[in-house]
Amino acid sequence: MRTVKEKNIKIQDVVNILKSGGLVVYPTETVYGIGVSAVDNKAIEKLTKYKKRPIGKPYSIAVSDISMAKKYVTLNPAAENIYKTFLPGPVTVVSNGKHKLAKGVESETGTLGIRIPSYKLVTDIVNRFGSPITATSANASYKKRPYKIADILTNITEKQKSLIDLIIDAGTLPKNEPSTVIDTTYDEIAILRQGSVYIQNKNEILSRSPEETKNCAKELWQKYEKYTGKRAIVFALMGEMGSGKTIFTKGLAIAMGVDDLITSPTYNIVNNYQMKNSTNKFIHIDVWRINNTGEISDLNISQNINDRSVLAIEWADKIADTIRGFNEEAIVVWVKINNRKKVNERSIEWGVE
Amino acid sequence: MGCRIINHTNFMRILAIDTSCDETSSSVTDGLTVLSNVVWSQSKIHSKFGGVVPSTARREHERKISWVVEKSLKSSGSRYGSLGAVSVTVGPGLAIALGVGINFARTIAEKYNKPLIAVNHLESHILSVLAQNKNLKRSKKIHTYQPPSFGVVVSGGNTLLVYMKHVGNYQVLAQTIDDALGESLDKSARLLCLGYPGGAVLEKFAKQGSQNSYSLPLPMLGREGVGQYSYSGLKTAFARLVEDLKQKSVLSKTQICDLAASYQNTAFEHFIRVTQKAITKYGVHDTKYLFVGGGVAANVELRKRIRKMCKEISISPVFPYSKRLYGDNAAMVGIAANFKYQMGKFVKPEKVDRMPDLKIDQII
Repeated sequence: MRTVKEKNIKIQDVVNILKSGGLVVYPTETVYGIGVSAVDNKAIEKLTKYKKRPIGKPYSIAVSDISMAKKYVTLNPAAENIYKTFLPGPVTVVSNGKHKLAKGVESETGTLGIRIPSYKLVTDIVNRFGSPITATSANASYKKRPYKIADILTNITEKQKSLIDLIIDAGTLPKNEPSTVIDTTYDEIAILRQGSVYIQNKNEILSRSPEETKNCAKELWQKYEKYTGKRAIVFALMGEMGSGKTIFTKGLAIAMGVDDLITSPTYNIVNNYQMKNSTNKFIHIDVWRINNTGEISDLNISQNINDRSVLAIEWADKIADTIRGFNEEAIVVWVKINNRKKVNERSIEWGVE
Repeated sequence: MGCRIINHTNFMRILAIDTSCDETSSSVTDGLTVLSNVVWSQSKIHSKFGGVVPSTARREHERKISWVVEKSLKSSGSRYGSLGAVSVTVGPGLAIALGVGINFARTIAEKYNKPLIAVNHLESHILSVLAQNKNLKRSKKIHTYQPPSFGVVVSGGNTLLVYMKHVGNYQVLAQTIDDALGESLDKSARLLCLGYPGGAVLEKFAKQGSQNSYSLPLPMLGREGVGQYSYSGLKTAFARLVEDLKQKSVLSKTQICDLAASYQNTAFEHFIRVTQKAITKYGVHDTKYLFVGGGVAANVELRKRIRKMCKEISISPVFPYSKRLYGDNAAMVGIAANFKYQMGKFVKPEKVDRMPDLKIDQII
C-alpha cells in the first residue's frame, strides 16, 4: 500500500497499477472511491474480497464521457436526457448493460450503474486507462462513508489494507452525499409489451370529469353484469399514468356492489374485494411494477378465472398475451383511456380484441 | 384493556420476520429493545437496482430468508432455542411475498416448539416509534409515550391516520381514497424520468429546487375535514404539467429540481392539512402524542412539517429512533409482537395464514 498526495500523482503510474489488476483509492466530488479495472475478472474478485460484499451485489462504474458509456450500456431516451442534464456530476444512471464487463459488475438482471464524476483527476485517469474503473465507495460494506483516508483505514483489517495498492490522498473532502442513483430501465416497457392491442368494433365515449369516468364504468358493467358468477369477466385497462384507470375501477366496483374503499393496487399488486350479497369476488390488479413476463403466473390470475371472478387489470397491455390466453374461459373487455387536450377530458374506448 | 408501555429486561426474546413487500427482514427484540434488525432490501440490492420486480420478489425472499434470519439471530447473540416466541407479518401486503415469511416462521415455531404471533404490518409501523436502541443506558429506556395517542402510517402502500385508545385498539380518522403518499412521490419521480421507486431521489432533487416555481392544485381543497387523503388528481395534474413542459424542450436540471420541490410541497401540504383537520375534529383532549411510522417519514422535510403541525395543536410527535425503522423492517414487527405476547395472543402454526387485505382495525 502506497499513499501519494494528489498534487504529486502521475496519471501514468495510476494507469499502470490498474493495468496490473491493482486497487486504487481515489477522491471524487462525493466520497473516496475505490477503483479497479472493470474489465478484469481477477481485479473485481480482489475488490469483492476487499469490500466484503454479499455475493450478487453489483458495482457501478466510472467512465470518462457518454461515448465510453455507450460501449457498455444501451441508453434509452430517458437515460440520454439524464446524461445531458446531470452528468458529469454526482448521479449514477442505471441502464441495461451490454455484458462486456468483468463478472459481477453488472447486476444479476444485467443492469449497470454508470457515473461520470465531475472530478477531473478521475476522468483523466479513466481517459488514459481507456476503459471503465469501478466507482464504488472506498469503505468496506456497511462501514462509515469515507471523506478522508483515515475514515477508511481505521475501519478495515490489516488484511484488507494489504489489498490496496495505491491511495491518492486529497485530504478531507467536502461532505457531499453519495451519488444519487437513477434507474432508467423502467422506461423500457417495450420489453414486456406483448404486441399492441387493437380493439374491434370499438365503442367510444367522452368523459369530462372523474365522475363521468366512473359513470361510464357503471354503464359498461351493466352490459356484462348478466355473466356474473357464470363466467369470469376481465376488464383489461390501458392508459397513461394519471389517465384514470383506478377511477374507472372505482366506478366498476360501485356498480357491482363492492362496499370497500377501492385504492390503488400499485404496491400490493393485487387487491381482493367481496361483492355484496354474493360469493363473487372482485380482483383489482396493477401490473405496472412487473417487469418479468415469466413470472406473471405468480399472480394466480388463472385461479381467479377458474373461480369466475371479476377482474380489473391496470396496464393490461403489458401482459396482453397472458390476458389473450383467457379469451376462451373469460369475457375479456379491453378498455383504453386516452388523454385529450383539456385537462379533465378523456376519451374512453372499449370492446373486444 | 391494553397493557402499559413499559420496558425492562426480563422479557423473552422474540424473533420477528417481515416479507410483506419488497424487503426481506428479520429481527430479534427483547421487550422494546432492538437487538438486531436485518433488512435485505431488493430495491437497494439490485444493481443497486435493476428493480423492484414483485414476482421476482417472491423468489428473492425465498433465496434470502434463511440468510437474513440466521444473521439476525447471530448478531443478537441468540439461538432458536433461546427464543420466547416467533412472530411474523401476516398482512397487509403482497400475498405471494407474505407467504414466504409465514411459511418460514411456521416451520421454526413447529420445529422448536415456540409460540407463534401473527402481526399486522400497519400496527407495527405505528408502534415502531416505541423501539429502543440497545446501546441506550437502562435508566433512559423508560419512556412515557402512553396511549391514548394518534398514529400515522405514511408509506408506499399506505397513508393512514388513526386514534389509538390503547395498543391493539385503533380507530381510523383519515385514509387515502386512491394513491398512497409514497406511491404518489414515486410516480411523480417516474414522470420526471428519475426511475422507480423514486421518492428518495425526488427528495434529493427537491432540496435543490424552489417549491413555489410551479403551481399545482391542492387536493380536496376546502374538504379537508372529510378525513380523506387523495393523490390521484395531483398526479394527473403533474403528468400534464411535465408533458407540456417537455413539449417545449428537454427539461433542464433546474426545472427538474423545481418540479420535484413543487410536487413534494403540494403533496405534503395536503397531507398536513387533512391530518391536522382530522385530529382537531376528533379532539385532542388528553391525547399527548402523534406516533409517526412508515418509509415516507424518513423524508426530512415531511418530518419538519409534522413537527410544526404538532406544535400548533399542542401534541408531541414521536418518530422511530433510527432510519432503519422507517421503511419496512422486522424490528417493528417484534415490537408489536411484544404487546401480543404480554396479552397472550398467539396463533396455532397450522392456522396462520396470509391476509393480504388486512385492515388496521381488523382482528387477526
